[in-house]
Amino acid sequence: MNAIGMLTNLLFFPAGLFVLVTGLAYEWVDRKLVARFQNRLGPRWFQPLADMVKLLSKEEVIPEGLDVRLFVALPVVALAGALTAALYVPLVGLNPAHSFPGDLIVTLYLLSLLTMCIGLAGANTRDRFSLIGATRTLTQLFSYEAPFLLALLGPAIVVGSWQIREVTAYANQHWLILTQPVGFVIALIGLMGKLELPPFDAPEAETEIVAGALTEYSGRGLALFRLGKGVELVIGLTLVAAFFLGGVANPVAFFIKTLALLLIIAGLQSLFARLRIDQAVGLWWRYGALLALVQLLVLIILRFWGWNGGL
Amino acid sequence: MSINLEKTFQDALEQVKTWARTNSPWLIHFNSGSCNGCDIEILATLTPRYDLERFGVKLQGSPRHADILICTGPVTRQARERLLRVYEQMPEPKYVVAVGSCAISGGVFQGCYNVIGHIDQVIPVDAYVPGCPPRPEAIIDGVIKLLKSLEAQEQTA
Ligand code: SF4
Repeated sequence: MNAIGMLTNLLFFPAGLFVLVTGLAYEWVDRKLVARFQNRLGPRWFQPLADMVKLLSKEEVIPEGLDVRLFVALPVVALAGALTAALYVPLVGLNPAHSFPGDLIVTLYLLSLLTMCIGLAGANTRDRFSLIGATRTLTQLFSYEAPFLLALLGPAIVVGSWQIREVTAYANQHWLILTQPVGFVIALIGLMGKLELPPFDAPEAETEIVAGALTEYSGRGLALFRLGKGVELVIGLTLVAAFFLGGVANPVAFFIKTLALLLIIAGLQSLFARLRIDQAVGLWWRYGALLALVQLLVLIILRFWGWNGGL
Repeated sequence: MSINLEKTFQDALEQVKTWARTNSPWLIHFNSGSCNGCDIEILATLTPRYDLERFGVKLQGSPRHADILICTGPVTRQARERLLRVYEQMPEPKYVVAVGSCAISGGVFQGCYNVIGHIDQVIPVDAYVPGCPPRPEAIIDGVIKLLKSLEAQEQTA
């Protein structure tokens, strides 16, 4: 690939400007839907953009008693990780910009990078609320990560490849939600855990621990973390839609399927109250991981007998 | 010519900043000795009935995330330090709205042995909302007037 094509990939599409804007738009859709579920009018369409510009134009306070380099670098690394992941997923139904065997695992790790950065950011400060928030963030990371990974490995096992492009090529012909409903549910709820949306928002429970791990962040740092979350929302929705909902072969299918998933997520958010951190962990390990594991075993055994994975 | 160009650019940047600031005010609420009447009204203001998210208002837990400090009640001797600390923890630009008669003048608590006085004896206040307690509509009006005044400042500057 030539240099200009690569630069375009990095700066505009698929990573860069495009996912940033889509992330903001999807954040608005999410907030608006939740507001409508609560019988409110909800934010105006440019709200996430205004929030972002305002945060970027605010002063950034650097508290005392922490590693300043880490404090400044973490938001950048988090956003960069999320943006890099955008290079490997089939956004808007186009082929991923880059692809190599095993990129599914790399993408999932890149998506976890954001959560790791938030945890580190909380542990870096001396503020006790950030510390508790960081502990909870990392606890939750260890609980949902395994089931989420196992759920997304289901389609990969069926196809027999760890490459996102090959999995989506197969999933375009098959609605894997029919043969792997458990995997779909776990992947979707795992995405909510990843994004710390209610009911999995114990890590940033503002009624208990101020704002969780990001309590000490203001201005630029906070803006970058929020942008990263928006990007991760888009990428996660794309992955789930591409793997389980019959693929995202063209832009229309992409937007319809991801927005439908967003509708479900918004509904779940307004339906449930916040889970305590131990309840969340129990839910993931007692049911999530177990069910995902059982489904994975069944898939492997069936494949062993020569089933091709379709209906 | 180049100076003019730079000036236009700066002006445009300022306009964008003001637009963002007036459209995304994040609040933090601090009670420095109120009887709780004003606090209950503030909570009522944030409920779905009045839906402040229409204006982009969000209640934040951390002073580091907030733009507007909503203060209720007179300042007691004990709360003074905390009020100052919360105010100083907020990143610039920051604004203060004093809600309730007590926040404006000390109200019924004037002259109490444990009360220092009203809010603007401790920190600068940008908008006052009278009432005991003020209705949610009045609080919304106060915040919106503050935002309007920011726009006006931008135009005169
Ligand atoms: S203004 Fe009235 S309601 Fe508010 S704190 Fe004072 S006495 Fe209480």
